[in-house]
Amino acid sequence: MRFLYYDKIDIINKGKDIIGVKTFSLSEEFFRGHFTKKPLIPGVIYIEAMAQLLGWLIIYTHNFNLSSIMTLIDGVRVCPDLRPGIKATIHGEIINTNKRDSLGRAWMTVDGDEIARINRIIYSHFHNVDSDMLKRWFHYYSGIDVRQ
Amino acid sequence: MRYLLIDRIKEIKDNTIVGVKNVAMSEDFLEFHFPDRPVMPGVLLLEALVQLAGWFTLKKTDFTKWFLLQDITLCKFYSFALPGDQITLTVENINDTSFKGIGEVDGKKKVVAEFSGIVIDVEEVEDREQQKRRFETLIRQESWK
Repeated sequence: MRFLYYDKIDIINKGKDIIGVKTFSLSEEFFRGHFTKKPLIPGVIYIEAMAQLLGWLIIYTHNFNLSSIMTLIDGVRVCPDLRPGIKATIHGEIINTNKRDSLGRAWMTVDGDEIARINRIIYSHFHNVDSDMLKRWFHYYSGIDVRQ
Repeated sequence: MRYLLIDRIKEIKDNTIVGVKNVAMSEDFLEFHFPDRPVMPGVLLLEALVQLAGWFTLKKTDFTKWFLLQDITLCKFYSFALPGDQITLTVENINDTSFKGIGEVDGKKKVVAEFSGIVIDVEEVEDREQQKRRFETLIRQESWK
């Protein structure tokens, strides 16, 4: 299983917002166990998708000089019983960011209907990072080349 | 990976359940989380608490119901759970659909969460008898030993 929960990034605006896409297919590993008689997308997977995408916006905003990790979420609602076969749009917004941490919010929609939301997500920043490596991963994950 | 985040149930009482999740270096999710620094993803700590709430619901309803996550009031991640860690998870039942959970390694807090959701018929998603046998395996019930 590759623990990557978005397929691409469509729009990214430094310090502001990000929009990406996640498609859910029946071949996802987490359906082995969730569940045997009916495949239901686990709610925490939406949280991870939103957190990964917004995390990249924070790293991009700080020019790949730091990494971010989720430390708190609140006001979360997820659709408990969706089946695979959907294409979800992920939206992430930065509310505030500085050297130490970031605050944001995120939500996901399918054909305009909301399927998941995080009202408040806080990230801590790590400064001991390899910028070139982060840029290479970002290129691979997003399809956006930020290397000079 | 099989999406089963509880390895063992240590105790189940009227309002609480205690479970264990062992983090092995062989876990698939560590490959990309993160490429050079394996850390158990926070959302999977949360999922472990949610699944424990599922096992609690199953036992409390005589193996007829299961719990699915819908709302998280608050979830805080304190520090990383690493390969080799044994996470002790304790979930407290607030009412039929609300729970409070904590995950600890060697007494050190890793995650705290308050969450609620919906309760469904277990037969909708799993074979009832099979799920009952899984529970017996998790709790090391006499009939299984």
